[in-house]
Formats: sequence, structure tokens, C-alpha cells
Amino acid sequence: MHYPDHFDVIVVGGGHAGTEAAAAAARMGARTLLLTQSIETIGQMSCNPAIGGIGKSHLVAEIDALDGLMARATDRAGIHFKVLNASKGPAVRATRAQADRALYRNAIRDLLEHQDNLHIFQQSVVDFVVENGVIRGVETQMGLTFSCATVVLTTGTFLGGKVHIGTENHPGGRAGDAPSIALAERLRALPFRVGRLKTGTPPRIDGRTVDFSRLDVQAGDEPRPVMSALGSADEHPRQVVCHITRTNPATHDVIQANLERSAMYSGAIEGVGPRYCPSIEDKVVRFADKTNHQIFIEPEGLNTTELYPNGISTSLPFDVQLKFVRSIEGFENAHISRPGYAIEYDFFDPRDLKHSLETRAVEGLYFAGQINGTTGYEEAGAQGLLAGINAARKVQGRAPWEPRRDEAYIGVLVDDLINLGTNEPYRMFTSRAEFRLRLRQDNADQRLTELGIAMGVVGAERASRFRDKMSALETLHGRIAATQVVPGSPLAGALGVDLNRHTDLAAVLRRPEVTAAELRAAFADATAALVDQALIETKYAGYIARQDEEIAKIRRHEGMSLPASLDYGVIDGLSNELKQKLTHNQPATLAKAARIPGMTPAALSLLLVHARKEATL
Amino acid sequence: MSRGGVQQDLIAAVATPPGQGGIGVVRLSGPGARDVGEALCGCELTPRRATFAAFRDGEDVLDEGIALYFAEPASFTGEDVVELQCHGSPVVMQQLLDAACARGARLAGPGEFSERAFLNGKLDLAQAEAVADLIAATSVAAARAAVRSLRGEFSEVVHRLAETLAQLRMLVEACIDFPDEDVEFLEEADVGGQISALLRALEDLRGRSQQGQLVNEGIHVALIGPPNAGKSSLLNALAGEEAAIVTDVPGTTRDLLKVDLVLSGMPLRLIDTAGLRDSDDTVERIGIARAREQADVADLVIVVLDAALVDAAAIDAAVSALAPPQGPRRLVVMNKLDLIADPGPANVAEGVFWISARTGDGVERLKRAIVDAAGLSGAEIGFTARARHLESLDKAYDALQKADQQLRAGEATEIVAEELRDGHNALGEIVGTETPDDLLGRIFSEFCIGK
Repeated sequence: MHYPDHFDVIVVGGGHAGTEAAAAAARMGARTLLLTQSIETIGQMSCNPAIGGIGKSHLVAEIDALDGLMARATDRAGIHFKVLNASKGPAVRATRAQADRALYRNAIRDLLEHQDNLHIFQQSVVDFVVENGVIRGVETQMGLTFSCATVVLTTGTFLGGKVHIGTENHPGGRAGDAPSIALAERLRALPFRVGRLKTGTPPRIDGRTVDFSRLDVQAGDEPRPVMSALGSADEHPRQVVCHITRTNPATHDVIQANLERSAMYSGAIEGVGPRYCPSIEDKVVRFADKTNHQIFIEPEGLNTTELYPNGISTSLPFDVQLKFVRSIEGFENAHISRPGYAIEYDFFDPRDLKHSLETRAVEGLYFAGQINGTTGYEEAGAQGLLAGINAARKVQGRAPWEPRRDEAYIGVLVDDLINLGTNEPYRMFTSRAEFRLRLRQDNADQRLTELGIAMGVVGAERASRFRDKMSALETLHGRIAATQVVPGSPLAGALGVDLNRHTDLAAVLRRPEVTAAELRAAFADATAALVDQALIETKYAGYIARQDEEIAKIRRHEGMSLPASLDYGVIDGLSNELKQKLTHNQPATLAKAARIPGMTPAALSLLLVHARKEATL
Repeated sequence: MSRGGVQQDLIAAVATPPGQGGIGVVRLSGPGARDVGEALCGCELTPRRATFAAFRDGEDVLDEGIALYFAEPASFTGEDVVELQCHGSPVVMQQLLDAACARGARLAGPGEFSERAFLNGKLDLAQAEAVADLIAATSVAAARAAVRSLRGEFSEVVHRLAETLAQLRMLVEACIDFPDEDVEFLEEADVGGQISALLRALEDLRGRSQQGQLVNEGIHVALIGPPNAGKSSLLNALAGEEAAIVTDVPGTTRDLLKVDLVLSGMPLRLIDTAGLRDSDDTVERIGIARAREQADVADLVIVVLDAALVDAAAIDAAVSALAPPQGPRRLVVMNKLDLIADPGPANVAEGVFWISARTGDGVERLKRAIVDAAGLSGAEIGFTARARHLESLDKAYDALQKADQQLRAGEATEIVAEELRDGHNALGEIVGTETPDDLLGRIFSEFCIGK
């Protein structure tokens, strides 16, 4: 049957990318359909039950600044919040929350079900309708066809998924779900380059069988941070503690003795796993001199006793898993509730995408999330948001939004993927961002919300809260600029500084020893968050100005478009390698060409001259 | 904003071919050219008027000469341009260039003046190809010069410093991105001590580089050819009478003879690959490999053939066997003209110089051709290969000094990290940059990270 209604945007997949994509498109007024294998698993956290972390909470804040779901859902589902890097500077400070899986799913589903313009339908997608290289619709398992203008594909690890436990393996998606084999075959027939990646999970453990009295306790932070700019700690459910334990030489002996039975080491796995998330067998082999490895025990939720022992992901057979788990302090009598496993899955080379996340091969088809070779809920959500926005913009006849590297971690993420591709599941780190000092969690709204309002992806409530904040911040900056600190005055006392002459407050604030606590005391009438913000901006002003110059140089190149008619093959003076990369990437601007690895200033000069010549002809 | 609509920065370069010619020109182009020019002259500059001035770097008078100022758009590049005509001493021009860079200019890239002229509509479309060729040719020449200057001790030292800095950054970045791990990265680091040591090493390197001990300059001309083709005689002929031999450089490898000389004001380093015997043994083959290697990184290759042995029709094949066409520019010399009957007009292939090194016949014409051929790349690379390295070392030093200050002032880790990255990137301009992913790779291979 052909479904009678036409959709602007169809999102395939109900994970973190899919839900953000669907919600963003719908917020922008696009008639949106979310197709998922199972409505029950919408918003499922299929790996560890935590949101945020260094670099990742930066992405969450950016999603939030554009009125996305992840931060708001985390504030409703978070059962343990921590600020990371609290002792370091604000640019690298991050928030991490442990979330109750069920509460998180409920929060996401609730937000989606209350979203105008958004419909949800439970069916597996098995095929696309493509006419003359343009997407026209999708077909589901039961033969139902939907027509639409754009499709956002967010099938995560479901494509060609294969689960490994020891020497056994079977086709499968994450956490017991069915893989999308039919769709994988269909996609393999399209001109996309396909690669294979691998990731793993640890065995889950029943908390009733763990001796917590022997474990270190890690409590959440007080005052408790929030994820969303609209969030408050009052929304948070009951808070719980996490625990820490360690492997020991006995654990390592068990693993060493059974290495050949690990799917990883027997050669059964062809996919590449992440360097920053090694399996326990990998840790034991590669860092043999380390006598113990930390395990961070995360609660799966408030109403379950299941635990996620983060740090011992494995593809060893079940009997070995049980043996090494029981060698660990506190786990001596542990019952494993689900075995650990490694999963291999297909991903599509992100170099076949445009910066809008639209595929080069099929117009109107967007890829977002793990399908592009990334890992992590936050990375997936960020891409989903971007793809959803751009699918809606395409329907509106507008140019895509392509966030820049100096604007957002989303920009860094997409730019890295599209220029460099990836050969391991790509994860965000702050060290990937050359404009790290600007791309802070605390100013994500200042970087993106105004733009989001203009694009129509930000709702009225957030827009008004944002404008209130900005005007209050401006007032506060004005007060700071107008204030001099008099030696021996109460203000000097509150700031804890010893001055010998009248000094501008801004200059005093730039001293490393002056911290937010002192300034809050001095401006007791402003909110703490606002004072913190003003202080950060004052302290960083010099560095930001320096980066602004660098960015101005880059933007100069951004304005220089490279015509599609440019034939890189005939440009003398370009190396063959660069000719190939340029021909393949077809950078739209000189700035994008500059990001291609191996590009030299002389080569850029050549492109500039040839582009100008081409334009003059 | 110039007419091309491209907001550019201020660039500077020596605009005349290197050598102790009568007059040397240092050219500035871009916003602020006039300010920097006036600072160097210590007086006001009027558009299109020659001003006699003492060129100075602060209090020090470097030279006296003529300054010309062209206001945009009425200039060669279409931007504000200042030309300082000084005496042609390389030392003076280098000092002027340094002084300009200290005031905000940066060294121009290969062909960058012409590029700007083109972008600002000062050159017509027909000239675009020539501009592109110039950029391509000069960047290749500059790359060769960089490869040469990077051999030996200089390269080793810079690589070692870059490695030390990479290790330090690895620890600092790991401490930022992986605070949860049970590794105290910074305890291992001694960041302050490491930065101080790097600063001392950079200072030492900068000093020695400035004295020219470590970095080569000048145009490299390699003489290659079969044994007994007369390469040594040609070297002597070229280095005779008019050409002043500056130094005798003992060959770093036993089979190479290097002679520095100045030909028509152009400093040249002639590299003679003489001493290869005609045999099939291993030593012979190593010698040939070395000659080829020299030919690859030279600015100009002179292929010397024996006119008595090589038939005119076989020149192409003989040349290609010795120096592949994709390598540096080639001049082909048929030597021993005195030993054969007149080759006749039919045998004079284009671009082939028929000479006799023994009688001096044809050597003058060859000299002029060498100077012409070397001039193209010479204008760009004479100073810049070395100057660019020094500029990078300075940038690295500045960044590390700031990192040091911030560390002492108790600034947050990511601020120190920012300066360390800048410093690392500056060294990367010499030895190749390291990407964020490379750095992450170091972290993951060194430390057991991750859950």
C-alpha cells in the first residue's frame, strides 16, 4: 500500500541521532515522520548509561542551545551528576550524568510525543525510492511505501550487525535488537564506500550479588550541575552513588590464559575498534606491566539492580567472563545478568557526505550518527540535529547550515569526518578543537541560540530565556567595565586582592588568583551563573581576540568559492595526491580546501589563482 | 580593502635576485605597508615620490637608500606597496626584512606578490598562467631549498625539539581530556622544567642558525654526467677568472666536490659529482645514487656529455638517463667541442650548449644561461628558505615563553596548552605538523585509557 500523506522529512531510526533529527525538523515546521523498528526502544541508551563527559557535554550543550532533546531528557533522567575538570579552566570543564535508562527513554518519548508536526510509526525500512539520483520515499517491511522530500538515515550499528561472544557469532543489532540486513544490502548497492567498525560492551552484573562494602564510593557533586540551560536541579530524580573497583593480577591471569578464545584475538573480528575504548583483553595484553585497571560501576537505573561495570568490555566466551568477573574485588559472588559482547557493524565513509550531512550520491538523503563512523550518544545526537535542520531547510528551499570549526564542536565533528574520514569509531575530545577556548559548554547558547532562533529551530520559551540572559549579561559587563577597585575597599577585600592604586575591575579579574567565588560575593545581586559567565569572558578576552584574528583569516578564504568547473587534474604544481583529494572532495570554498590533509600554502595560492581565472572566463 | 575584495595581511620579501649586486630591493605589500615603511625610514613617505632615508631598526641604522611608496590601487600589487632600495648586501637585506617582520609583516609565500597583483586585477587573464607557473616553480624551488637546509644537524635538533614538545603536549592534553583515568599525567611531566629546557635549546639553535652555521643558502647547481665528460674542467672554467671562489667546501661525502662562487652577483654552490669510475662495482653504483640525490635537490642541473662520444641524435636519451625531466631545471652541455669537427647547424639541438671547457669556447654563453635559469628561483629562495626557518623558530620561542609566563602566573592548564600548541605548530612548519589525531594516538599508545 502507498501511505496517503506526503512527508517533508522521514527519519529512519529512533536512537539518539534519529530522535534529534526528527524533533529538529518538526520544530522547524517540517511535516516529519519517525520510522523505527520499535517504539519501545526510542531513546534507548544501548551502551553505558551516561550522558556527557569531556568534549561530549560540549556537544550536548550545543544541541541544547538549538533547543534539542538530549540535555532536557538528561535533566529528567540523571541520577548522578559530576563536573569534570572543575580544577581546570572553564573551556575544558564538562558535565557528566549517569542516567536511568528507563527514565531517559520515557523523557525522550514524552518530548517527541508532544512535538507538533511529528508522527511516529513502527516499521522496519527495507528500501528507498530513488528517482534520477533524488530520494522520493521509503518502503517498509510490510510493503508500505511513504513518499517524502528528504530522508535522514540513522540506523546506528544495525546495518550488517554481527555480535561476537567468544568464538560464537550471530547477526544482531545492539542489545538484543534485530539487525537491518535488508537495508544494509540495499545501501551496499548504492555508490557509498562501506567500512567495518567494532565496539564492545562489558557483562552486566546484578547489583544484589555485589559486595559494595568493599568498594570505593563516588558520590555526585553538590551543588548539582544541570545539563540544559532550561533545566533545574529540581527536575532531577533521586540521586545515587557510583562505585569503583579494580582488576587484579588474578583477573589478568584468567584473561591471558584464555586469549585465544577471544573473538578479538582469534581473528574472527575484521572491524576496527576504538583506541580509547579498548577491551579488557586488549588492556591486559598491551599494558602488561599495569597490575590493575579501574572499573567504574554505573547504576543502570533507580528501579533495577542491574549494573554497568565500565572498563571491562570483552568478547571472551561467557565462562571466561564469569571467571574473570568473579576474580574482581566486590564481584566475588557476582551474577552476570547479560554477557558482554563485541559487535561489528557497517558504516559509510563520511567523506561521501557534504558538510550538511546530505549524501553526495543521492540528493535529499542524509546520514547521521553511528552510520557515519562515530561513537557516542552525544556525537550521534549532534549529527542528527544537524541533519534534521538541513533536511528541513532543504524543504524550505534554503541553503544548508554548515557550522564552522570556530563556531561549534558540531562543526569540528562534521568537518573532521568529511575531510579526514575515520578508521575507528570517532569520538569527540577537546584536543580536536583548535578554537577550544571559544567552544565552551558555558557559552554554547551565546554561540548558537540566536542562529537557532533565526533558523526557526529554537522555540519561544528558550528564545525568551536566552534574550533575558543576554541583556542581564550585558548589564553586568557594563557594571564591571565602569568599576574601579579602590585599595583597601570592601570590594578589594571581597576579591581578596592587595592593590596599591585604583585598578580597573576587569584588570583585577584577569588575575589568575581571582575566582568566581570572590566575584559572586562582590556582585551578590546577580545570579551565580551570570557572574561566572562574565568572569570567564573577562579572563579569556585576550585569547579570544587573538583567535578572532586567526578566524578572520580563515573566513577570508571561506568567501572564496571554488567553482565546480575547476579541473584540478590539469593544475601544474599540485602534487598528484592533492589533485586526487581535491577532485574527490570538491571543496566548495578555499577554506575547505585548506583543511584537506597535505594542503600547502603554495597549493592554496595556485587554487586561488585558477579559481579567479575560471571565474573571469 | 583592496579592489579584489580580499582583505590581505602585510607581506615582505627581497625582490631582487640574491647576490652582492649593486642594489637590493626589499618590498612590502598590504595594509600597513606605509606605517612599517615610515618606521623603517624614520620619516614620512609621499606616494610616488622617491625619499632618501637612513633605514633603521629602532636606533640602529642598517643602511642608507631610497624608499618608494605607492598607494593602493596604483601599485604593482594593487595594495599599498613600499620598496626599500638598499645596497645589495645579503646581510643588510636580511636585517631590513627582519626589521619589517618585527613590525608585523610576514615573509611572502612563493609568488605571492604576483598572486596579489593578479587577484587585484593588476595582471590580465593571459598572465594568470604565468603567475600560476611562477608560484608552482618557486614553491618547488623553495621546497628543494628547505629539504637541503634541513639536512644534517639543524634537522636533527629541530626534530628532537619537536618530539620533546609533542611528548609534553601529550601529557598536558591527556590531563585535560582524560581527567577520570587513574594516571597523573602532569606528575610525570615537569611542565615548567621541560619548557625552560626547550627555551634554552631554541635560543641556542637560533643563535647558531643566524650565524649561518646550520642552514645553507644560495642556488645549488649540480654538475652531472658520465665519467671523463669533463665536469671538473667545466667547474674550473666556470670558477675561473671572473668568478670569485668564495670558499672551498670539503665534500661531506668523499665523492662530491662543492665550490661556492659568485657569478654575475649571484651566489652559487657548484656541486661536482666527479670521481666516478666507469665500472660495474658496488661502490660505483653508490656513487651514482649520490649524484642522482644531489641532482634531485639542486635548483639547476647541468648535464655534461662528451661531444666526441655522444652523437647529437642521442642527446635526449643520454640526458634522460642521467636526469629525469620531472626533476629540477636542466641545462645540457656538449663538452669537448675542440675535439670534434664542427657539429654543423643541423646538429645544434635547442637548449644544448656546445662548449669546450679547455679552450673556453661557449663558456660565456653558458654562464649567462646559468644566471638566467637560476634567477627565477633565486629571487624567491635566496633568503627565504633560511629566513622562513628562523621565523618559525622565533614563533616557537615566543609561544613557549608565553607558556612559561602563564605557568608561573598560575593560569589554567588549557591556557598553557594553547601556547604549547602554537609553539608546536611553529616547529611543525619546519618538520611537518602533527594533527590532533596524531597527538591522541600518542596518548592512546602510551597510556591505558578508556573504559
